[in-house]
Amino acid sequence: MSTDTDLVVETVRDILAAHEPFVLTGERAWDAGLWSALAEAGLTGVGLPEAAGGSGGELADAVAVVATLARGAAAVPVAEQLLVAGPAVLAADLTLPPVDEPLSISVDGVVTAAASDDGDGPGRWTLTGTATDVPWAGVAQHLVVLAGSAVGPVLALVDVAGRDVTRAANLAGEPRGSLVLDGVAASGALLTGAQAEELRARYAVARAVQLAAALEQVLAWTVQYAGERLQFGRPLAKFQAVQTELAEMAGEVTAVAALVDAAVQVLDRGGPLVPAAAAAKVRAGAAVEVVARLAHQVHGAIGFTQEYRLHHLTRRCWSWRDEGGTELAWSRVLGAGLLADGPDALWPALTRVV
Amino acid sequence: MSTQSLTLAPAPRSEAAEQVRAEVREFLAAELAAGSFTTHVDTWLSGLDPAFSRKLGERGWLGMTWPRQYGGHGRTAMERYAVTEELLAAGAPVAAHWIADRQSGPALLRYGTEAQRRAILPRIAAGECFFVIGMSEPDSGSDLASIRTHAVRNADGDWVVNGAKVWTSNAHLSHYAITLVRTSPADPAARHAGMSQLLVDLSLPGITVNPIRILDGGHHFNEVVFDEVVVPGEMLLGEEGAGWHQVTTELAFERSGPERFLSTYPLLAAFARRVADTGDGAGVAALGRLSARLLALRQLSLRIAAALDRGELPDIPAALVKDMGTTFEADLIDEVRRVVDVPASLDSPDPLGRALAEAQLHAPGYTLRGGTNEILRGIVARGLGLR
Repeated sequence: MSTDTDLVVETVRDILAAHEPFVLTGERAWDAGLWSALAEAGLTGVGLPEAAGGSGGELADAVAVVATLARGAAAVPVAEQLLVAGPAVLAADLTLPPVDEPLSISVDGVVTAAASDDGDGPGRWTLTGTATDVPWAGVAQHLVVLAGSAVGPVLALVDVAGRDVTRAANLAGEPRGSLVLDGVAASGALLTGAQAEELRARYAVARAVQLAAALEQVLAWTVQYAGERLQFGRPLAKFQAVQTELAEMAGEVTAVAALVDAAVQVLDRGGPLVPAAAAAKVRAGAAVEVVARLAHQVHGAIGFTQEYRLHHLTRRCWSWRDEGGTELAWSRVLGAGLLADGPDALWPALTRVV
Repeated sequence: MSTQSLTLAPAPRSEAAEQVRAEVREFLAAELAAGSFTTHVDTWLSGLDPAFSRKLGERGWLGMTWPRQYGGHGRTAMERYAVTEELLAAGAPVAAHWIADRQSGPALLRYGTEAQRRAILPRIAAGECFFVIGMSEPDSGSDLASIRTHAVRNADGDWVVNGAKVWTSNAHLSHYAITLVRTSPADPAARHAGMSQLLVDLSLPGITVNPIRILDGGHHFNEVVFDEVVVPGEMLLGEEGAGWHQVTTELAFERSGPERFLSTYPLLAAFARRVADTGDGAGVAALGRLSARLLALRQLSLRIAAALDRGELPDIPAALVKDMGTTFEADLIDEVRRVVDVPASLDSPDPLGRALAEAQLHAPGYTLRGGTNEILRGIVARGLGLR
């Protein structure tokens, strides 16, 4: 990690210290105060070029911000903005909305784009349909929508401030509602099929980055708890059965950290993202099964309550493994991709992924 | 706990490694086409072919990272990594030289005398000198400090060795055993003191090698019995009394290589062929799921190799790779069985059935050899500050 990245992480941590995670509800669906503080510090534009209205910095800085916020169970749409929607808008030559106005991404649902002009490049489109499972629906002021059109996939940017949202939430209470787009005007650009797949892969990498960070924090909390909680006159951590569980968790966390970081490196150098993202998302999702289960087992009943902190991260992990593509969906993509050159080329294909 | 200790820097991308990888692939394709070997599971234990090892030595693919004056090739850990994983993925017969190249040679480089290095390392690098690990004993498995094989200096300054070592892979065809012995009586107050390592020539009088057959009937393991064996005094490896420190360092180095998750790779390859033939969706997903596990292990293993190359000793991640990697090697069998309907048999007309059988009959060994997974988790627990 570079010194600049360390500095960014320190700043995020300082801000987080003043914003404890809380139980998200329909009435209080995100941490608006935290968002304002982050925006004021320029942290909602990290990794996005200054010329486009961002704060500058490298991908590594943006990843560090997202990871630090994930560790803190921060209820803000930063992963979506910095790692997915923001870069997608810029790659499509669209105008980045002000970075202090939350920007999210919708790759699910059925939305059709019709060209409002004759241009192939950036132009005006009319969107019709429903965007479903929209992260931070009702919070985001701008939405990047991956839509279909008669001429191929379209990346459209819509102003959704004040639009009606059908509310829904993920297992952690984070807003994941639907938006009906009934002939909404949008700026947008045609994508190739491959570019559309890369966008989905970016979304998967973003969730994988959050998962890797959250799982690491869950391990740290569990190790800490096991060291403090006394039963039979000694800390839980002294019981070999508990040590084995913590070692198993550490293995999962370490494996996920390495593979997710490798996928980020692929993204950074502009390599083929789909197989790397698929592998990272599958592995991170699979780790949730083990790490969340054992974390709750070690924490005992207190971890099963809303008053204790553990659920802020375990519930997010259970949702993030579904979002951006489940393990099953990405396993299919990865398996098919690895067989693309025939089964005898499986090994060469594996050595090219990350 | 410092979670930083679990985070490893990326391995450097190496053009040289990709170059040698391509060369090895070409070599292996030609050897397979010529019928010089056939692909099997777990060949770093059971694929014994001294002629094949010599071919690798001729091409400069043994002792790759060692200095040239000892017959090595001064190449990077990343280049060696590429060579070893290509050999394992092809299921090539690498057992003859495996221990010498991976572990004994590096131990000689670290602790050996100049004379020992000059006499032995060039022969290892040429694929002509093979080693076994003399650690476990009939009554000492995971509790290695309880060994009873002992060595006493005689009037000539030579070591007289008595005792027995077990699970010595391929001792019947190897030349040396780096043997952990007690050189001072056991002291309950300092269990790890008083042990030393000896470089024992397996052709010395008084040594008997008895076969121990594993589940598939294969003869790889042996019991090596030492009866008043006189080992020349200059064959002490490293320092007298420092044996425990030397073996634990050696074990940390051997834990994280690609053989800790690729032993059953030929089964995955056979499975992929079946999935491609049938187009079965559940099979494609299983292949993807298993590949993601493999890729994470490979990435960790690569990063550890790079860290070792930088002079770090990431022993906790290394223990984790072996724990998770060997678990993966065995899980592969069960995962494949969930999606294909092929009975396992060494006599199966179906290559997938044979690969399943080979993998299954070797499976109990994966999570035992080189330190059981229970011991490894203890090491991890200590790293997490729990012990």
